[in-house]
Amino acid sequence: MRRAKLNMAHDNHVQLDDNIQIGSEATDFGKKAFGIGGVALVLALVLGGGPFGREFLIAYLVAFMYSLAIGLGLLWFVTIQHLTNAKWSVVVRRVAEIIAANMSVLAVLSLFLIVPALMGNSTLYAWVDPAKVAADRVLKHKAGYLNIPFFAIRCVVYFGFWWLLSRHFLKRSVEQDTSGKAEINTKLQTLAAPSMIAFALTLTFATIDFVMSLDPGFFSTIFGVYYFGGAVACAYSFLALSLMWLQGKGRLLNSVNREHYHDLGKMMFAFGVVFWSYIAFSQFMLIWYGDVPEETHWFHDRFQGDWKIVSGALLACHFVIPFFGLLSRYVKRNRKTLAFWAFWILVIEYVDLYWLVMPTFGEDVIPSVLSLLVHLLAWVGVGGLFIGAAASRTKGLNLIPTKDPRLAASLAFENP
Amino acid sequence: MSAPKHVEPVGEAPLHGLLAEYDSPETLKKAAEKIRNAGFKNWDTFTPFPVHGIDQAMGIRPTILPWLILGGGMTGCALALGFQWWANGVDYPFLISGKPYWSVPANIPITFELTVLFSALTAVFGMLGLNKLPQPAHPLDLSERFSRSTDDHFYLLVQASDPVFDEKETGTLLETSGAIGVEAIPEDVKSESHVPRGLQYALLIITAAATIPFALSAYARESKMTHTRFDIVPDMDFQQKFKAQRENTFFADKRADRPQIEGTIAYGELNEDDHFYRGKVNGVFARTFPAQVPIDEQTIARGQQRFGIYCTPCHGQAGEGDGMVNQRASALAEGTWVPPSNLNDDRLRQMGVGEIFNTITNGVRNMPAYGPQIPTADRWAIILYVRAIQRSHKAAVADLSAEERASLK
Repeated sequence: MRRAKLNMAHDNHVQLDDNIQIGSEATDFGKKAFGIGGVALVLALVLGGGPFGREFLIAYLVAFMYSLAIGLGLLWFVTIQHLTNAKWSVVVRRVAEIIAANMSVLAVLSLFLIVPALMGNSTLYAWVDPAKVAADRVLKHKAGYLNIPFFAIRCVVYFGFWWLLSRHFLKRSVEQDTSGKAEINTKLQTLAAPSMIAFALTLTFATIDFVMSLDPGFFSTIFGVYYFGGAVACAYSFLALSLMWLQGKGRLLNSVNREHYHDLGKMMFAFGVVFWSYIAFSQFMLIWYGDVPEETHWFHDRFQGDWKIVSGALLACHFVIPFFGLLSRYVKRNRKTLAFWAFWILVIEYVDLYWLVMPTFGEDVIPSVLSLLVHLLAWVGVGGLFIGAAASRTKGLNLIPTKDPRLAASLAFENP
Repeated sequence: MSAPKHVEPVGEAPLHGLLAEYDSPETLKKAAEKIRNAGFKNWDTFTPFPVHGIDQAMGIRPTILPWLILGGGMTGCALALGFQWWANGVDYPFLISGKPYWSVPANIPITFELTVLFSALTAVFGMLGLNKLPQPAHPLDLSERFSRSTDDHFYLLVQASDPVFDEKETGTLLETSGAIGVEAIPEDVKSESHVPRGLQYALLIITAAATIPFALSAYARESKMTHTRFDIVPDMDFQQKFKAQRENTFFADKRADRPQIEGTIAYGELNEDDHFYRGKVNGVFARTFPAQVPIDEQTIARGQQRFGIYCTPCHGQAGEGDGMVNQRASALAEGTWVPPSNLNDDRLRQMGVGEIFNTITNGVRNMPAYGPQIPTADRWAIILYVRAIQRSHKAAVADLSAEERASLK
């Protein structure tokens, strides 16, 4: 570490002995993913009753929030690396930047949810229907926030901000690959501070709008943080798997090593297991001991019938099992075991989002085979388009910020 | 640590070991590999900062500390859960807002804290123990050469106690290992090897003092007070103010709280309507609702909501006297519990609304007075809802709508 630091002071330009461009292998994969995603989405639309179909909209909401979680989690990752002037993460940051930069795709995909709401279709959101608002005291009370014009403005702010921010981070970082200007880091660090505050606010309110307002009577101020915890866990897991995929294709073999995976694993453990559980329990305990009907009904829905099993499974599979599974240093430093837990977290996060959305609509755990199929298709659809766009974006880009002044420190990084 | 002392010639004190000095971490690592391969056991390296790769070079096996910490954490977790189970569920069951005596969610924060506390303490003390710390004195403290180990030089010490150690051979091995110097380190015969006497006494006194609070607690559990307690903060225990229900020599009747002066009424408390405020008409409990209470769906809805808040804990959702408090109190089977009335009893069906109003306002048997808690109009709204419940329990066919009647056919 000390030597790496000393070298860095004299020499910004590290000689990289590595294959750092992926080229057509990724774009071909991207096209395939895009094609599969498109077909799956069309099938989900057909089987789920069209763009206003109840089955489709519910399944699409879960699927969309899932891909959004990965995108937002990685955008947060990039922001905080700049904010803290992190050194260890430089070799993995570009991949995160490339995936996060697909906020534009997510913004377009969000229209499937936003447009029906703007047209007054209350399948998902009761508060867009004036008749329902007039009949409900709570909806009337909240109409100052939950109304169509303000919702439209907020959506523009959310996706606009995320899109611009992610694009800017990638653009400036790529620019550094040619210009090698060190002051780009300083500027991005300055930008990262206010962006982090704006990110926290936009993520919180977006979660409230898209998920919590499904049940407008329910309120929990920690709801956004809950989604954030899962999102960041997903992001680290997805990033680790992306890097393994790239290394499987012979890229980044000499740059990304077990030290970097170890750190990604630590963050998976920290966010996917401990932080998520801490927030989930904080939300539960306050509602549990407060015992106010406006809040308890939300958990009541999730402790009825088979949902009780899902709630218990979340406790076991989002906390107890991965806690002991991911606790050990060796598990995090071994690629195969880390890949297993990354998959685990990505799967359980889907279950978590499914559990957030479905009981609100009074649905059973598995309402029907068709419904399950529509969920699967929507997940493959949104995910395929998201991954496809990310893979295509690698075209002509280095997979490592080659002239970042902190690159040498990142390459030489060792865990104590 | 004191300044380096004068080193006695090796001849007098027995040999502790051989110290080799290096000028870079790389040479130290190479030397460490040599010593490791020669099969030494009792040896160590000293560096001014953490050197990556030194563990492998020395062949140090991974520490068991993580396992100790895991064990400590699990102990804390089990202890917290077990103690709360024993205290809340077994030793002193106490009903809190209708929840089970042993309620796991309430135990989680303490379980979490104790798990973290035990893990952290195990980490700190385990680390000290495994490193054999604290060491009041070490022979290396006496070596002038060794003082640069906190600055810019790197050291390797092979102890004479090692089974493979041979003063000459080991010395040659170290000299050819890239060292810039090798020095014989004598045992420290001067410094006291045990903890200084003063510190021993201090520790003894602190330990003894630490038992005082526990002793006082134990005493307090077993003893009855026969005398005034000792006032540590007198002006907090005896404050310059008059408390309600206390003696006050200033007034002739020696009462601190003053009775209402005869013939006066507090502002806004005239309440002269007997029917509305006391449920009485001409001194007898009324059988009709006062004019101020609108008999409509809105009032019933208000009554239902208030009933849900104030009455259901004992009387139950349908007024059958099967509320959560009753269920738990009956489960305790103490023999002193007077169960709440079933509001659907004939006695209560026939009771006039005025008398029910009086019961709610002033309480009856072990039901407390709700007058101070529930505004007057709400008490009437609750009675209206109680009447609705009573009617629903013995609904006549005429009460049903045409649709409902059809569905019953």
